[in-house]
Formats: sequence, structure tokens, C-alpha cells
Amino acid sequence: MTAITSNEDLNMPKPLLKTAFATALALTGVTAQADEITVTDIAGREVTLEAPVERMILGEGRQIYLLGALQPEDPFAGVVGWREDFSQADPDNYAVYAERFPELEEIPTFGGFKDGTFDVEQAAALEPDVVLMNLEARTATEDAGYDDKLAELGIPIVYVDFREDPLAHTLPSMRLMGQLLGEEADAEAFIAFSEAQMARVTEVIADANPERPRVFIDRAGGYSEDCCMSFGPGNFGEYVELAGGSNIADGIIPNTFGSLNPEQILAADPEQVVVTGGNWDAYVPGGDWVGVGPGADMENARAKLEALTERTAMTGIAAVESDDFHAIWHQFYNSPYYFVAVQQLAKWFHPELFADLDPEATMQELHERFLPVDYVPGYWMSLHDH
Amino acid sequence: MTTETTTVDAPQGRDLYRALVLKRQLILAALVLALFLSLCVDLALGPARFGLGEVVAALFTPDAVSQQARVILWEIRMPVALMALVVGASLSVAGAQMQTILSNPLASPFTLGISAGASFGAALALAFGVAIIPAAIEYVVPINAFVMAMLTAFLIHALSLKRGVTIETIVLLGIAMVFIFNSLMALIQFFASQQAVAAVVFWTMGSLTKATWPKLWVALGVLAAVLPLLARHGWALTAMRLGDAKAESMGVKPRALRLEVLVLVSLLAAIAVAFVGTIGFIGLVGPHIARLLLGEDQRFFLPGAALCGALILSVGSVLSKIIIPGTIIPIGIITSLVGIPFFLFLILSHKKASW
Repeated sequence: MTAITSNEDLNMPKPLLKTAFATALALTGVTAQADEITVTDIAGREVTLEAPVERMILGEGRQIYLLGALQPEDPFAGVVGWREDFSQADPDNYAVYAERFPELEEIPTFGGFKDGTFDVEQAAALEPDVVLMNLEARTATEDAGYDDKLAELGIPIVYVDFREDPLAHTLPSMRLMGQLLGEEADAEAFIAFSEAQMARVTEVIADANPERPRVFIDRAGGYSEDCCMSFGPGNFGEYVELAGGSNIADGIIPNTFGSLNPEQILAADPEQVVVTGGNWDAYVPGGDWVGVGPGADMENARAKLEALTERTAMTGIAAVESDDFHAIWHQFYNSPYYFVAVQQLAKWFHPELFADLDPEATMQELHERFLPVDYVPGYWMSLHDH
Repeated sequence: MTTETTTVDAPQGRDLYRALVLKRQLILAALVLALFLSLCVDLALGPARFGLGEVVAALFTPDAVSQQARVILWEIRMPVALMALVVGASLSVAGAQMQTILSNPLASPFTLGISAGASFGAALALAFGVAIIPAAIEYVVPINAFVMAMLTAFLIHALSLKRGVTIETIVLLGIAMVFIFNSLMALIQFFASQQAVAAVVFWTMGSLTKATWPKLWVALGVLAAVLPLLARHGWALTAMRLGDAKAESMGVKPRALRLEVLVLVSLLAAIAVAFVGTIGFIGLVGPHIARLLLGEDQRFFLPGAALCGALILSVGSVLSKIIIPGTIIPIGIITSLVGIPFFLFLILSHKKASW
């Protein structure tokens, strides 16, 4: 990520910004405790705005994963509009949130910036103090000139990211949102927790320098009849390396996402297989995918995971022989809570090194200390557990 | 004098004809040989580096080799390699006969909307899990694709039976179908999740890795059933290329023949597309290469088109494996990128007008 930090990158000339803010303040009747702050967002832009913000539009609904940790009592406070992707992409967690906070059904929804269905007029009518945008929407946003249009209305855009490069961008995004909301202490507490949990894996691996098992990540295994989607060096590929494994797709899949020749799996003979799964009943009803996730039906998931070992590309590989065949929630690829996934992977790859590491407990603590909803187990399973 | 010249000309003509037939038979034999070599290379290459001896052993005495070698050759490489031949031949024959009966060099399973219909059916299943026929749920994608492809074909047939519909109109109807289905596809993608859009896009790129033995038998069975039915009409189809009026004067019934052939080739194309996704270009180019090499005579053109299509896809299958070892680039991309320059070379280097 090349940082573009210059004053030209500001959305609008300052006098105009001030007038616009004055107007916005007059309109919304916000009292004058707000201070002007300048933050550098994940796209490297310097943005000046009044903080703490009181009205936000979430350019991506799943930003609530971060926001929830900053205002756990009322995560949707200040959210005046959001993109409708949470309910579609992560229906199980959406259900957990909707039960606890029924008001989220009332929040106005937007189309995506990326597919050009965002309605600037609707956004302006909601009078937000800030629009939080995901980094991958930047090109489309600037291409359509939404940034200029919003700037003319005195509405700044701030880019965050926990998907394009979760390991590098999640914590800075958290810090940024803490600054915007004036909840820096909560943000730092979450960051410290995340770093400490990550260190419990990375320090042990660095010290012990164990032999790295060959790992095949079966991305959305069973979702389609095609075998075998996987991850290259990014995302889950990176999680595997951090957890002390060696990704068999490394050097074959050049970017984050790609597919392996089924024969390559037989040739590489992986010692560990990690299938990513989720509740995809809306997309492939009755499919062979493994439905792990909050509140998953574990018996059903286990039966499906067992069925996946029967595929041609899995014939006689070491991981099947030794039952080192696991399933983990697919959405960890796109979640600020990825450090729990890294812990669970490490425990699978090096059970003796991480005998006292309990990812369930980490998940429990994460929810109790930071998140607005209770922990519902079901995020992973292994054929190794009988 | 006149009688003398004719007696000289007749044997000359006969010799010319025999030489021509021999040349065409040799070209067909060369195509068969090239196809066999390509199949061998396809079976021998892959990320698991087996020696040639081991490959041969696994082929002829599968019980004597390791389980890994047996699975790789018989369950992974073999269905893909054979599917390439069957699908290539099916699409190419479908394109060839569409060009013949519609007297249009641009006709192919794509221009008639059959592939677009299949893609739409597949996308319905991939994005929303809609099963057109709610049985055999594990085959929902190919079944949806097949049903939509056949519906498209029958709609075109039904419309083509109306008064005043000429063969040009049929091509226009097909193009209208393509646009309708493209818009419907866009609509699906607009409402579908990112994950589902990725699956639809991947499907439309075409991929032989979906091949399994049961699918291969179905595709092969359809091809084996359709080819003799088309060959039976060989002379009539050759006559069709002279125009409907001339063909009719030779005793051919153009409308009835057109209808029968359209059903047969739709079946061929629909099966192929349903199993491997849309593999562009072969249905258009396979027949043109065959025509450049062998001419219009169906006795040579039909097998030639089948062989050319099979060869293009088989070579494509090899390339899709070796460009990035360990991964398989979708075959639809390869056939277009590698095949089109070759096709342009053939067209431009050919002095006579070939259509």
C-alpha cells in the first residue's frame, strides 16, 4: 500500500469545509464540544473533521465488527445508514445481532459503492458527519466522483480496511475509528488484546521453530463441484504461515485467491487440510459445504466434513490418513477477529506446543470484554476430535 | 474431335477427384495422429511428475502401480483429457452444422444464444440455488444449464416456424436471445453475493476440471448418437450450401432438414456447455479450420470439424496445465487467446475466399 499523503488529497478546500460543517452543525443541532481533528486514513489520505462524530454512514455493514467493540452497549448508536451486506454475507451473526438489537432492521440501507448503486442524494439527506468506506471501494468511489460530491456537502470519507490486508490494516482501522468516535481508550484496549493473543502464537513459533507441516487450505470446500479453490500468500495463506504451517499453494497461486490443480494436492501430499466453511444455504441449498459458524449444527458439519475426505483429490493424502482434516469459519478471512483463527490453526498444526492455548476461551473473552453480543460457539471443528 | 477430348477429360477428372479424395483422407489421418499425440501429452503432463514408464504402466496395468499414480491417471487426468476431446468435437460439430443450415459463417452455439441460455441456467443455481427441475440436487448446475439451453433452442425453432421467417431472421432471433440472457445474467449478478458472483464468473470461463466419468459417458453417448444421424444427411447438407432453391431442386426439403439438424446440434451444444461451462470460440473456429483444410463436402467436413474441435481443446487442455504448473487456467481463456491468432493466420494466409 503506497501512502498518498498530501494536502491535495484533502477532499475540499478548508474554508468550504468549515462553512459546510457550520451548516451541518446548525442543521443537526450538535453542541459545540466537537473539536477539529486531522486523521490519516488507511488509504493514506489526511482527513480533517469534527470529532467525536455523531452521525455515521457505514459504507460496508460489516464494519460493525469493529464499531461494536467501541460502543458495546449500543453498537448502532450514530449509525444513520449502512450498506446491506451484513445480513447476506454473514447471516448467522446478523441473526445474533438482530435478536439483541432489533433496531438494526430500521437503519436505512444503501447499495454498494463498488457496484455503483450508492445513492449520494440519500446519503446527503441523512446528514452524516462521516462516511466510513472500505478500502476496496476507493477506486469506484473516486471514479464515480462520490468523494467530490460528498465533499461539496461537507461530508468527509474515511477509508478503513479489514479485508484487503487484514493483518496490516485491521488494527490501524480500529485506532482510526477510536479517534473518530473519541473512544481511543477502548480502541487501544482492543488492539492490545489482539496483539497479545497473536503473540501467544507467533512468539512460541519463533522460539520453538518447529518443523512446518504441509497445509492445504480448501477455500469454501464443497461449495461448488470444482476442486480446489485455495489461498495464495495472502489472507488465510498468511494465517497458516503465522500459525507455523507451510501453505502448499505458496509459489503456485500468485495472489490471494486462486485454484489448485487437484493433482497438485495429491502430489504435495498435505499433512493438514483446513476447509473453510459457512452457512451457504441461501446460495447452494443442501450443498456439500461445511456449515461451521455461530450456532452451527456440529453433527451435520461433521458428516459433511467427512464426506469431503472422499473426494478424488484427497485420495490417500497424509491429512486424511491421520484425521488432520479440519473446518473453520470462512468469514475469518474478512474479520477483525482473525487472531482467533490463527490460534486455532496453530493448535491444530502443533498440538504439543500449544497444549495450553484455548481458542474457545479467547473467543469467550473477546465477546465478554469487547463485543456487544454473547459468544455462540461452532466456529470450527476437526475430524481429530472424537 | 469432341468425342476424343471428352474421353481424355473423363479419366483426367477421375484422377483429379481421386487425388483430391486421397489428399483429404490424408489430412483426416494427420488430424487423427495429431489428436492421439495431444491426448498422450495431456495424460503424461501434470504437477505429479511421473516418468513415461510409470504413466504407461498405470494405463495398462493399473493394479501394479501406487494408489497415487492410479488415482491421478484414471480419476484426475483421464476424465479431463477425454472430456476435452468429446466437448471439443461436440461444440465444433454443432457449430459446423449451424453454419451449414443457416448459411452464415458467424453461426455457432454462441450466436444462437444456446450458451447464453446455459449460462443463465447455471447462474440461477450458483447465485440463488434455484433448481429448474428439483431432482438430483447435486447436478443442479448442469441440469439447469441444459434445460435453459434446450428451452432457448426450442424457442428459436418455434419462432422460425412462423410465416416469413428466413434464415437471416433465425440468426437475428439468436442474437436477440444472447442480449436477453446477458441482461438477465447481469441482473442476477447485481443481486447476488460477491461469493456467488465469483462462482458465476468462474463458471462462464469454462473449465474441464468439472469432468467426471459419468459426465464423460453422457457427453460421449450423445455425441455418438448424434454423429451418425448427421452423417446420414451428409449429401443433403452439402447441397444446402448451394442455397435452398438449388437444394430443393435436388429433392432436399430444406425446412424439415433445418429443423431436425437444429434439434440435434442444440442437444450437442447444450450437453457440452452444461458440463464444462462456456468454452467460447471452438464452435466458431473448429468448423472454419476444417473447411479451410477439407472443403464443404460433408463426408470430410463433418469428421474434420469434429477432429479439429477435439484437437483445439486437447491442446488447450495441455497448455492450461503447463502455463502455471500446479494450477489450471480456465480452458475458455486459453482456447481464445491461443486459438485466435492461429485462426487469423489461417484466414490471412489462405488466398481463396473460404466462405
